[in-house]
Amino acid sequence: MTETREPLLKVSDLVVTFGMGRHQVAAVAGVSFEIYEGETLGLVGESGCGKSTTGKALMRIVEPSSGTIELDGTDVIAQKGKALRNIRTRMQMIFQDPISSLNPRRRIKDIVAEPLDCWKSVTGDERDVLISDLLTKVGIDPKVYGNRYARQFSGGQCQRISIARSLAMRPKLLICDEMVSALDVSVQAQILNLLEDLKHEYGLTLLFIAHDLAVVKNVSDRVAVMYLGRICEIGPADTLYEAPAHPYTKFLLGAALEADPDSPVHGEVLGGEPPSPLNPPSGCRFRTRCPFATEKCVEIEPQLEEVAPGHHVACHYPLTISKK
Amino acid sequence: MSVEQEKLLVVKDLATTFHTAGGDLPAVGGVSFDMERNQTIGIVGESGSGKTVLSRTIMGLQQRTNVTVTGSVLLSGFEMVGASEDDKRKRWGTEVAMIFQDPMTSLNPVMKVGKQIDETLRVRLGMSKVDAKARAIELLELVGIPSPQYRYDAYPGQLSGGMRQRVVIAIALACSPQLLLADEPTTGLDVTIQAQILNLLEELKERLEMSVVLVTHDLGVVATRTSRIIVMYAGRIVEIGSTREVFAGHRMPYTRALLESSPKVSNASHTRLTTIPGRPPNLLKLTDGCSFAPRCSYATDKCRVERPELQAADEPGHMFACWNPLPKTRRTVRK
Ligand SMILES: Nc1ncnc2c1ncn2[C@@H]1O[C@H](COP(=O)(O)OP(=O)(O)OP(=O)(O)O)[C@@H](O)[C@H]1O
Ligand SMILES: Nc1ncnc2c1ncn2[C@@H]1O[C@H](COP(=O)(O)OP(=O)(O)OP(=O)(O)O)[C@@H](O)[C@H]1O
Ligand code: SF4
Ligand code: SF4
Ligand SMILES: [Mg+2]
Ligand SMILES: [Mg+2]
Repeated sequence: MTETREPLLKVSDLVVTFGMGRHQVAAVAGVSFEIYEGETLGLVGESGCGKSTTGKALMRIVEPSSGTIELDGTDVIAQKGKALRNIRTRMQMIFQDPISSLNPRRRIKDIVAEPLDCWKSVTGDERDVLISDLLTKVGIDPKVYGNRYARQFSGGQCQRISIARSLAMRPKLLICDEMVSALDVSVQAQILNLLEDLKHEYGLTLLFIAHDLAVVKNVSDRVAVMYLGRICEIGPADTLYEAPAHPYTKFLLGAALEADPDSPVHGEVLGGEPPSPLNPPSGCRFRTRCPFATEKCVEIEPQLEEVAPGHHVACHYPLTISKK
Repeated sequence: MSVEQEKLLVVKDLATTFHTAGGDLPAVGGVSFDMERNQTIGIVGESGSGKTVLSRTIMGLQQRTNVTVTGSVLLSGFEMVGASEDDKRKRWGTEVAMIFQDPMTSLNPVMKVGKQIDETLRVRLGMSKVDAKARAIELLELVGIPSPQYRYDAYPGQLSGGMRQRVVIAIALACSPQLLLADEPTTGLDVTIQAQILNLLEELKERLEMSVVLVTHDLGVVATRTSRIIVMYAGRIVEIGSTREVFAGHRMPYTRALLESSPKVSNASHTRLTTIPGRPPNLLKLTDGCSFAPRCSYATDKCRVERPELQAADEPGHMFACWNPLPKTRRTVRK
């Protein structure tokens, strides 16, 4: 990914705060990244680090407190009313829980048609053909299953239906939030392959949020690692996994278990747990668990800096990187 | 003492059938295996394959009605199947203990965690209040909870998921069981916390000389943490053997499919995953044949009508159930 391309999505200094009693929690505390047309950006990090909140803020399901979000040159945050709804059709989000995200009392083909019916963009026969086509694309026979209700389907099938629905408006950006986390490996593999196929066929750009590092590696061109509301490292998937430059990334990858008895038994395990976002540490947010922390880390918050082409790290002492 | 009695656990033809409104559901359909002392054995399989029901049946925990258990579970020579509640209760905690799949439901949300450990100690071991409290704090420390004195008074909701799981482990270990059945002990936890908990279990196993059954749907969890693996499909064991052999010398097509469909950190981005068509069978509608047949690319007519029994492979202790096994070559797991 070296050619200079225009990003489809450009996020700068995104902040999302929630009120918790008298306190404010910055679930997303100043996040910037870009996603180029046609690529998949993976977003990983531990529970509560702000992955879902980032995705929801892009869709404006939750309101950002500050920062900018540009989709294809349009400022998403400035939009209101119809224009906001319009821009939302260009982005779609798929959630973790496939069963509860579909209305159990509606027929499959009406669920898939929801966005079309809402916009009345396509009607009559044309609509029916489009829906049948979408269902076929995700591997569900519209003649056999189109009239059935969502509650009769398994998790994997529901996720296929969610995908079909999300594609109905021909979005440019698809935000997948833990979309395969609740599925068994054999079904997960089917859905991941399907997603790759549809991505090419529909020319999609993806933000793929998941906590499973192997799954993210599999689908992503680039990966961003989040810790306590901020991105600590972002770079090409293969480089980042092979030579992580941020200490947190290194520990995170070290803890990932490979289904291989010969995989190296990882020595150092990261101790402790992430601090509360109510009261983040001064300076570097990772310093309370980082074995390399110094005085400087307590005082100065490191910013993302480029350590190799396209590879950015927020650490005062990035780990060995072959300096080219 | 006969050889059979020396073994920690001998499971033979164990079957658990639920009598449901839709008919008889054979959740565990005839399982046999045994276990040495100081061993960690992994049970893997996809959702619904019967891992939890099998563990609960070994423990002797089943609902009172609408279930039939047949076969045998010998725990240090004692038959658990058909034993009285009293006899089983005597063994719970001291001989066998279980960590349940969902740590939140196995803790009482309105009782201080320390008190929950205390209670186990007082009921099971008849300890005094003062001794039990001291021991409970020791146990919290043993499972790596920082400032145990202070956490003793915490309610489960005030602890993180990882800490709650440590408390659950502390309760299970309270009476030093010889066998610990750990049902998905790290599912839902972050990888860094998962690594902490798995290390803890391994360390405690060594220190307390127990045996552990590690139940999981995650092949990564068992790969480096167990010496033997049981692969389950639709309520039966389809392959069993040393961990290394099951990973690299498996003979049963489902085992291979399970291994190949898991994404790997070491694979390059956009590696195409191998998939298995379809999904596991409805247990209410099992046929007489191999239950993997509808999804198996090697299936023949025989597979559809006659169930393959477990047969011995070359390596001692390695068995698989398949009419058309994969050739005996060593497969490398790494690509
Ligand atoms: N509606 C809300 N009100 C208050 N706090 C919230 C709300 N939604 C999220 N949070 C908090 O914001 C932080 C980030 O949550 P978020 O759901 O984005 O994390 P995540 O990275 O998606 O985690 P997971 O991997 O568990 O899904 C957490 O501390 C969470 O408790
Ligand atoms: N009390 C019960 N009554 C009826 N059926 C049951 C009962 N408990 C479990 N089952 C069924 O038995 C089968 C095996 O369930 P079990 O919970 O053992 O699966 P598992 O392998 O542990 O799956 P998971 O990975 O989802 O935990 C399933 O089909 C389940 O629906
Ligand atoms: S800035 Fe300091 S504390 Fe933060 S990750 Fe780097 S070395 Fe560790
Ligand atoms: S017995 Fe037949 S259907 Fe079953 S796994 Fe073997 S080849 Fe496949
Ligand atoms: Mg989330
Ligand atoms: Mg289970």
